[in-house]
Amino acid sequence: MRKALGFLVLLAGLAWAQTALKVGVILPLSGASAVSGKAALNGIQLAADEVNATGKAKLELVVVDDGTDAAKAVPAFTKLMTVDKVDIVIGGLVSGVTFALSGPVKQYGPLFLVIGAASSVVEQAFEGYPLFFHYHPWDYHNVAAALQFFQYLNREHGAKKVAILYEDGPFGSAGIGVYKQQLEKLGYQVQAEPYKTGSGQFTAILTRFRAFAPDILYWIGYDVDALPIATQARQVGLRPKLIYGAPPSWPIGFERNPLSNDVAGMTAWLPTLSNAESRRFVEAYRKKYGEVTEEYMAPMGYTIVKSLALAVEKAGSNDKNRIAEALATLRMNTPFGPLAFKPSDTGKTRYQGFGADIWFQFQYLEGSRRPVFPKDKASRPLRYPGEYYLR
Amino acid sequence: MELLLQTLLNGLLMSGVYALVATGLALSLGVVGIVNFAHGEFLMMGAFLSYLFFALQGLDPLFSLGLAFLAAFLVGGLVYQGLIRPVLPAPELNQMLLTFGLSILLQNLALLLFGADTRVVAPSYQAATLTLGPFFLGAVPLGAFMLSLGLLFLLQVFLTRSRLGLAMRAVAQNRLAPGLLGIEADQVYLLAFGLAAALAGVAGVMLSVILYASPTVGFIFTLKSFAIVALAGLGNLKGVVPAALVLALAEALVSTYLPGGGGLVEAVFFLVLFLALVGRAWRSP
Repeated sequence: MRKALGFLVLLAGLAWAQTALKVGVILPLSGASAVSGKAALNGIQLAADEVNATGKAKLELVVVDDGTDAAKAVPAFTKLMTVDKVDIVIGGLVSGVTFALSGPVKQYGPLFLVIGAASSVVEQAFEGYPLFFHYHPWDYHNVAAALQFFQYLNREHGAKKVAILYEDGPFGSAGIGVYKQQLEKLGYQVQAEPYKTGSGQFTAILTRFRAFAPDILYWIGYDVDALPIATQARQVGLRPKLIYGAPPSWPIGFERNPLSNDVAGMTAWLPTLSNAESRRFVEAYRKKYGEVTEEYMAPMGYTIVKSLALAVEKAGSNDKNRIAEALATLRMNTPFGPLAFKPSDTGKTRYQGFGADIWFQFQYLEGSRRPVFPKDKASRPLRYPGEYYLR
Repeated sequence: MELLLQTLLNGLLMSGVYALVATGLALSLGVVGIVNFAHGEFLMMGAFLSYLFFALQGLDPLFSLGLAFLAAFLVGGLVYQGLIRPVLPAPELNQMLLTFGLSILLQNLALLLFGADTRVVAPSYQAATLTLGPFFLGAVPLGAFMLSLGLLFLLQVFLTRSRLGLAMRAVAQNRLAPGLLGIEADQVYLLAFGLAAALAGVAGVMLSVILYASPTVGFIFTLKSFAIVALAGLGNLKGVVPAALVLALAEALVSTYLPGGGGLVEAVFFLVLFLALVGRAWRSP
């Protein structure tokens, strides 16, 4: 009897050891995308704690910083592969950095769970890679969601001119030509200008935009650019009816700055969403970190780890190929809504998680982000024209 | 025409901060004779100091200017005594490696203390604008420009009218002869290096409002200052203001008139540096 019990304990121990999994996490914890990177890491750690607490799987995270810089990301990724010897990597937030990782990823062959990297340049770079799971929508999904909003602005508010400021890296510039064409198809006159993210120098471009007199000032860039644009637009006397931004994250404390008022943007998630998974996530996040985040990268990181844990459980193994097979057929509810993988719209990658439907538009109103479009998700009507004058 | 004038105005306003930062670099290069790659980190310190005072005490950045000047002067003095002075007799490469290492150290120290997030000092007048007919002038960039000019004027008075200033210029011109006349070169170096750091610290306070404070905010200003100093002539203090004006106007014009110029604006200083060096090479046989 004792022998049998000992054997059972040994088996249980072996089973537990089998599902103990070392997971590499490569995120921008410094540099231009640090706000998104840290939010993502918080979500990942929260989910890993929850998974480990259930005892069904044990996840051990090995976190490295890519510095929002391809030159730092490649050695950091190589370290994960060669020193930490992980088989599964969560990361790929910034398109330019993820693009640079495409070679090393193909070389070492991990199961790569990608949290961001919306640029279709990345989709192309990972074409045919069998262990590439992309959770975040692609840029054409983002464009589709934004175009829906612009169509509404054109139809309901008579907006006719858009001035676009886009950062000159892959995030901002990939597909800008197509974007311009699509807006023109909707009846807009478009003027688009590139800029260097983090330079803080917008006065010259904004001055030129003044002659164009846009209804909408639209910028595609990073959080560091938000305040300089909001400030310098006023300083050069640009008077758009809407300032609309599409950064992966917004600067910390931006909502407390009066210059943020009426600035609109697109997000995939806000803590005020009424879906049950979202409410559960918000509560767990508040309990662990003592605050509520508005960064959608936090639930995105959370979702990735939760889905990974379910796949590990389903696969009953820590073999990356078997986990990938389990992930491919997974169906689950997330703070963003239902998640299931299918081939990307272009057919270049096999496992695409979310699409255009998770996006919605918000506006900074009285110190917080309020959903304003589409109507089924709106908690407040859009303020158009926004007041960007100095009071 | 209106666009051209507004563009020139934008460039003119930016040139003040450029001149202030580059004058510090020219001082340390011209007087102490050291290529200081950590110059931008004094600027970063000023920016974070302004942020701390604003975030913790609600202190207007205008009041932080004096404090940043003193703090950066003190840190600059300590850096000179502790690090720069011992390597002055060493080959130039050693000096450059030391200041480069110091730059990395200070950036990482800031990363540890403040994290990588950008911090903004947002006083109520941050986006205030003055209108002159069809032209717009941001109140903060205008204030920064005026203050920079004022400081540079005071520096000029100090260098031309005070004994200490004259001693500094003498050391800049000839390192041996002033010693024979009883001028303590070491003290002059200390003062010059402290002043250089202080000017960058003040510029940092201005940039905490115009841009943001972050561990890497100073780096690009070090590079631009090198371009300005090269254009002005290494160590030539008088040439710094016109050289800063050339760089700022070139950036504004490229950004406004070149297709896709907004993405190229950070490359302008490379071009300026390149042209300055090539021009000098052609002039000297």
